[in-house]
Amino acid sequence: MKIVLKRLLSMIPVLLGVILLTFILLRVVPGNPVSILLGEHYNQETIERLTSYMNLDKSVLEQFLSYAAGILRGDLGVSYVMKKPVTDLIFQAFPYTVKLALLSAAIAWFIGLGAGIVAALKQNKLADHLFMGFSLAGVSVPIFMTALFLQYVFAFRIKVFPLSSDGSLISLVLPAIALGWNSAGSIARMTRSSLVDVMQADYIDTAKAKGVRHSAVIFGHALKNSLLPVITMMAMQLASMMSGAVITESIFSIPGIGRLATQAVQNRDMPLLQGTILFTTIIVIFGNLIADVLYGIIDPRIRRAV
Amino acid sequence: MQQAKAASEALSSGYQEQALAAGIGEANGPKEKIRKLFKQNKLAVVSAIVIVVIILLAILAPVISPYKEAQQDLTARLHGPSLSHLLGTDELGRDVLTRILYGARVSLVIGIIPSVISLLLGILLGLLSGYFGGWVDYLIMRIADVMLSFPSLLLSMAIMYTLGRYVNSIWCIFAALSLIGWAPVARVIRSQTLSFKETEYVEAARSIGVSRSSVMFRHILPNCTPSLIVLFTLNVPSCILSESTLSFLGIGVQPPAASWGLMVNQSKQFLFTSPWLALAPCLAIMLVVLAFNFLGDGLRDVLDPYLQDA
Amino acid sequence: MKIRNLSTLLVSAGLILGLATSASAADDGDKILHLGWGADIQTMDVHKTTDNYAVPLSIFDRLLEVQLNDDGSTELVNSIAKDYEISDDGLTYSFTLRDDVYFSDGTQLTAEDVEATFTRMFTLEDSVQTDFTTCIKGAQAILDGETDTLEGVHVTDDLHFEITLEEPFAGFLSVLATPTCCIMSKANLEEAGDDFGQVPEKTIGSGPYMVTEWIRNDSLTLVRNPKYWGEPASAAEVHYKVYPEAASLNMAFQNGDVDILDCEFLDTAIVESVYETAYADQMVNVNRLGTYYLSLNMGVEPMTDVKVRKAMQMAIDRQSILDSIFGGNGVLVDGIYPAGAIGFSEDNQGWLQYDPEGAKALLAEAGYPDGFDVELSVDSGSSQNRQNIYQIVQQNLQDVGINANIVNYDKSSWLAKRTSGEIPIYTSTWTLDYNDPSNIIDVFFSSAEGSKIRSINYQDQEIMTRVADAKKILDENERLAEYAALEKKIVEEDASWVPLFCLQHKFVVSDKIEKFVPHWAGYGDFNCANVVMK
Repeated sequence: MKIVLKRLLSMIPVLLGVILLTFILLRVVPGNPVSILLGEHYNQETIERLTSYMNLDKSVLEQFLSYAAGILRGDLGVSYVMKKPVTDLIFQAFPYTVKLALLSAAIAWFIGLGAGIVAALKQNKLADHLFMGFSLAGVSVPIFMTALFLQYVFAFRIKVFPLSSDGSLISLVLPAIALGWNSAGSIARMTRSSLVDVMQADYIDTAKAKGVRHSAVIFGHALKNSLLPVITMMAMQLASMMSGAVITESIFSIPGIGRLATQAVQNRDMPLLQGTILFTTIIVIFGNLIADVLYGIIDPRIRRAV
Repeated sequence: MQQAKAASEALSSGYQEQALAAGIGEANGPKEKIRKLFKQNKLAVVSAIVIVVIILLAILAPVISPYKEAQQDLTARLHGPSLSHLLGTDELGRDVLTRILYGARVSLVIGIIPSVISLLLGILLGLLSGYFGGWVDYLIMRIADVMLSFPSLLLSMAIMYTLGRYVNSIWCIFAALSLIGWAPVARVIRSQTLSFKETEYVEAARSIGVSRSSVMFRHILPNCTPSLIVLFTLNVPSCILSESTLSFLGIGVQPPAASWGLMVNQSKQFLFTSPWLALAPCLAIMLVVLAFNFLGDGLRDVLDPYLQDA
Repeated sequence: MKIRNLSTLLVSAGLILGLATSASAADDGDKILHLGWGADIQTMDVHKTTDNYAVPLSIFDRLLEVQLNDDGSTELVNSIAKDYEISDDGLTYSFTLRDDVYFSDGTQLTAEDVEATFTRMFTLEDSVQTDFTTCIKGAQAILDGETDTLEGVHVTDDLHFEITLEEPFAGFLSVLATPTCCIMSKANLEEAGDDFGQVPEKTIGSGPYMVTEWIRNDSLTLVRNPKYWGEPASAAEVHYKVYPEAASLNMAFQNGDVDILDCEFLDTAIVESVYETAYADQMVNVNRLGTYYLSLNMGVEPMTDVKVRKAMQMAIDRQSILDSIFGGNGVLVDGIYPAGAIGFSEDNQGWLQYDPEGAKALLAEAGYPDGFDVELSVDSGSSQNRQNIYQIVQQNLQDVGINANIVNYDKSSWLAKRTSGEIPIYTSTWTLDYNDPSNIIDVFFSSAEGSKIRSINYQDQEIMTRVADAKKILDENERLAEYAALEKKIVEEDASWVPLFCLQHKFVVSDKIEKFVPHWAGYGDFNCANVVMK
């Protein structure tokens, strides 16, 4: 409990750093939301009027302070370009991202763990290479190719799944496969290597010598111990998926957090960008925290390291 | 990016830390290790050969190809593979094979340079953090935390936008990818430094008056080499893929230069009418990424001291 | 955590088996029109956007409309304005409204609403539609913060009002037909406040459709307005869906998920190889009343020299750009005004020929026999077709010795750089808002400031004054002659840009569409009532 509390406290400087970094970035990046709003139609007068309306003519410090004051009141501001409160936009987008992340994680874990275990058992044999090759293939191709390919085959040629998301679970299957397969490679690799490590450890030999069945050795002893680092990785992957997947979301028309954030950068939409970054950072930090705590619970030896 | 991040997380966790600490003072020489690699893992060897061949092809691109990289032929747009264009032509009538060869240069450089920079940066900051501890450690680690929790894609977008107007896009890509890549490396190095710092071997070095920097770079660093090699081989493909993501958003390498990521992106519309256009660079990426991954795994198997202990 | 995900898997597996067939079940009563967008709109409030016109066109009415006839000609027709008279001095327009126009909430549309609409255009702090409507008397005074009532709009009674202009302006009636002048409900504007244009039920118009749902970055739904005064629209519902990836949109159309495909999202090669063949009789083409141009910044060395600019005009192989990137679907133009628009002059065509040798000679004469270095600034957010133009331009310039360097900017940086007048060369297009030469020439060449924020930096003050004054000429022939003379001076003599071409805007419609009439100026946005379904 004390560790968790300590970790929570250490989040504060990180969050402050993230807010500051966001603010600095938007200050140094050229361009402004006014030009985006006006597009092809603009004249000098309108530019000046909008700039002052959005308080973009105020000093950096003033802008930062008024933003910080807003956060303390729980107000993340109104998006410059989408003209809607940032919190509304985030809460509208987040459920889509959560659904996609959970489904993708499930697929990543299924492929990753499965391939990793088989590969470890058949270390350096053909099956090892085949299974690792399959799980690594997903991460070796730019994800938009995987996504477009899946879309082409399973939504266009064979119309098994809808082409784009309509919010239903079934329409999320293809994007989840694309995203999950993309993350499966690292899980498979981690599973394989730690399983190989553990299986060569002394106590497994002892268990074998005692005549415990082969499968029982693997699933009862080896797997349990080798999964520790894998679980950490899975938790962190889930957290990073929760912060949005721009490309997958774009190709399958999913209105998630990832697209919201990239649009915010592209439009120099300061309130929206700060809001989404703050939100996703908190999720990632909590994800890592949970992973660490989980790790400590499963393996008490590590507690001091956390 | 995510892949390297996660791998390093696991490496930096206590589990591996102990494993690595256990392997200190390993007697195996490099020759022996490589021999072991050859014996044990054919795939890794094949991967190494593939990488060398691709590097050679990239270097020899002007010698191999009769076309120039950006040479347009507007009368021969989107032609399929033929004898004069082995992999066909793109939407501006440029030879696809030639662009793949030249693209190999760009993609490999984008894979390797940021990895090297982030490795160096990570080593330096990780050593400082682990060795000195205290507020230095606190500061560096909090900055690393910020970098790790900040959405990396948004960070690289911002860097590309800002620097893009001053320098060539490839330098921006280096900057963006290195800035994102150093934090995981620093964490690994820090945790290993922490554990090596307490070993008798380092204590002994310190007690006979070896300077701090010497302890850090000559006694502690060499012990981190195995995980650094693994991190490096994972980082290279991840950089190549990250660049393709930037290209997807229209801010990667600038045409008429070509990276594989940019080529895949520009041709994704033609995926179903002129598939060779997208598939060729895509397979090239896949080949290189897989080769680096398998090589990394192979190296890890032989270099990881814990495995050798067994 | 594990069990939870296992169950998610099982559930989804069940869904795959169970629901795959029911996904395509359509209700066969009402006709639903499905449309695809490349990016979501930002607002439905036309005063806050200069390009999200699709929804305003469908849910609001304008006083007048431009009708696109089958032969390609356009005419200005009355819409909710039943009648109008123009005073002899060309300053006062007296309107009579139809008496059967109701907003979708049941209230009648009156002259008060017209007044409120125009006043809001100028009083709204973040209004962006303060461009060509500032010709209304008193508009500038509001923008300058002197007052908040609009002097130029006078309500006589419920159905009658007058609009007075600052100066005579022949194009004013066409301005009233633009999306900018959608008539809103005064009561609705007051009640909704900031929610207007954001919340469907608080965005009320009198047009053929009303909005019922809008999920950001995802979809938007229109439903036929039961209170609409005109002929009810053919489709009972319109579903817009956002497809950020062109390849997905392409598949969605061929899958039957989208009924009208805007070919502008696709590479011409796809349009040619897939649609012009297999879907040849489902193509709908409209002339885009817009000019593609390649700007030459007259404030950047060495393009300050007219000889250099003329050489660059001759160096660009426009026909080959048109043919290879746009499949030859358009015509070369040599001036400012789009082909087919008012002001387009045949006399000013045909003088510009591709002549790389001549260009080299001119460059040598100007003192640049070995060419020079220049930047081509690309907006990486623009379409692939447009980005490909730069690659050919780069090659063309290379051929005459000019070393052009392509630099990509993201949209926002690019716009900021252009606004500061610093982009040396870029290509873009201007599509007419209303059919009048002033709508294009004024934007680029009527003031030093306006020319600077377009990175053209035109210098000739006398010409700019003449451009600004031309719209006040009441005699139509005299006015068009002046516009033609100005065009000749600015493009042919001063070589301030390389005129490129006017394109056709192509759409493909599905077999569920009986008839589709795009926007008269060739916008991608259109009034959904102009789609007739089978």
